[in-house]
Amino acid sequence: MTTGPTGHEAAGAAAAQAAPVLDAHGHIGTWPDFLIPDPTAEGLVATMDAIGVTAMGVSHLLAVGPDAETGNRLAMEAARRFPGRFGVWQVYNPHHRTPLTREGVWGVKLHPDVHRCPLDDPRYEPVWRLGLPVLAHGQTDSPWSDPARFAAVAARHPDVPLLMGHTGLWPYGFDRAARLTAGHPNLYLEVCGSRMTGRWIARLVATAGAERVVFGSDACFLDLRIGYGRVALAPLSAADRALVQGGNLARVLGDPVSRVRRDLP
Amino acid sequence: MPKFVIDAHRLIGPVPFDDLPADPRAEMDRLGIDRACVTHALSLYSDPQAGNDALLRLDDPRLVPVPVVVPGVPGASAPAAPAEVLQWGVRLVRLCPERHRFDLTGPMALRWLAELGLPVAIDLDETSPAALRTLAARLPGLRVLVLNPGYRGLRALAELMAEAPDVWVEIGTVNTQRGVEWLAGRFGAGRLVFGTGAPVADDCGPRFLLDHLDLEPADVDLIAAGSLGRLL
Repeated sequence: MTTGPTGHEAAGAAAAQAAPVLDAHGHIGTWPDFLIPDPTAEGLVATMDAIGVTAMGVSHLLAVGPDAETGNRLAMEAARRFPGRFGVWQVYNPHHRTPLTREGVWGVKLHPDVHRCPLDDPRYEPVWRLGLPVLAHGQTDSPWSDPARFAAVAARHPDVPLLMGHTGLWPYGFDRAARLTAGHPNLYLEVCGSRMTGRWIARLVATAGAERVVFGSDACFLDLRIGYGRVALAPLSAADRALVQGGNLARVLGDPVSRVRRDLP
Repeated sequence: MPKFVIDAHRLIGPVPFDDLPADPRAEMDRLGIDRACVTHALSLYSDPQAGNDALLRLDDPRLVPVPVVVPGVPGASAPAAPAEVLQWGVRLVRLCPERHRFDLTGPMALRWLAELGLPVAIDLDETSPAALRTLAARLPGLRVLVLNPGYRGLRALAELMAEAPDVWVEIGTVNTQRGVEWLAGRFGAGRLVFGTGAPVADDCGPRFLLDHLDLEPADVDLIAAGSLGRLL
């Protein structure tokens, strides 16, 4: 009988020792649909300090919207103002063929629904060629970002880590989204969203494996404390929680905090 | 950390679209929630009266029953008459105008609510800020707890709170960065009530938020339990 830790347990134990809390899905800036009382980088850092979030990957909401180049520049400026606290997801708008960089970023953010361009569209080829991690909005039954499109893209680009934003957003699609990760080791479930629950995070871990579930908050769009609290208080083992709240993303990115610092001008 | 926590919005019983805990008490224990206002799922997803009957059989001081009332003409209401609601001895009732297809500001609902004189809880998805403003204008002094206000309608919610001083708001879905502090700064923590909508909605995130609000401890205590006490 084997009594040693499984690979999963060992990974969890290692992650628990390192214990970074990394938020895979953050934003800075305003959004037209509704009032965000505090859309600032300063406000995010204050909340991160208050609850122990080490670093957050951000895209500027201007970049998700009509002006990716300017928004990306604003995100980079925020990252420089707060060394080690923000990684940048540079937004790629397939219509504007946004210039991409490998320097000083965590990867690329796609929003197929806002940009009305399906995730598996050939216009995203420059993104996949870049080879950096990709975080994309995911939304079950959307013609642009249904989880099946993530599975298709993950199979086509197995060397690109792909984070399915919101795990498909709607609770009725969470289980299917988790099952769609099977056979695609580069596909991860990112758990932010107003419909996500701590109970569902535990179910996603049970279905897809703790190594495939990644904490994200969607702050400042959503409240960072609610997003992180869902992971902090979800019914998970300590080892699984350590993987979800930062261990997995650290593995995907390398050491993101030092990477941000290294790339500072 | 708040001294005492009451969740103003929980369900008990099974729901048809998911496999969720039917009894809230284990999760309440795990998350440090001392008491909860509960509505029976049967009242929402099956028969209001059957749900209320099951709810009123509960005998646990941790679970505060919030039965569902369906105002209507004789033969279309649940229960049969307002006097029956008063016999239940409850302190809060829930209305579901969309689900149960009645007019929240129609003559029957207004007549029932005037006769009951009880606070009412209404999910914002079941109505609109405009209908609630009308209700408040037609029944001054009626205390309304808005459940599930969400975060996208903060401007309209604020307008409602500004115009209707007897409206309280559940915070569990006020989920945009510092949205709860923004409402507290404008209307006072005494108008805000901790609630989750669990188990359909999340309780982990809102419970964590309650412990990390950027407010004075006295204000956090109000949101955690005191505001609901005043409402009731």
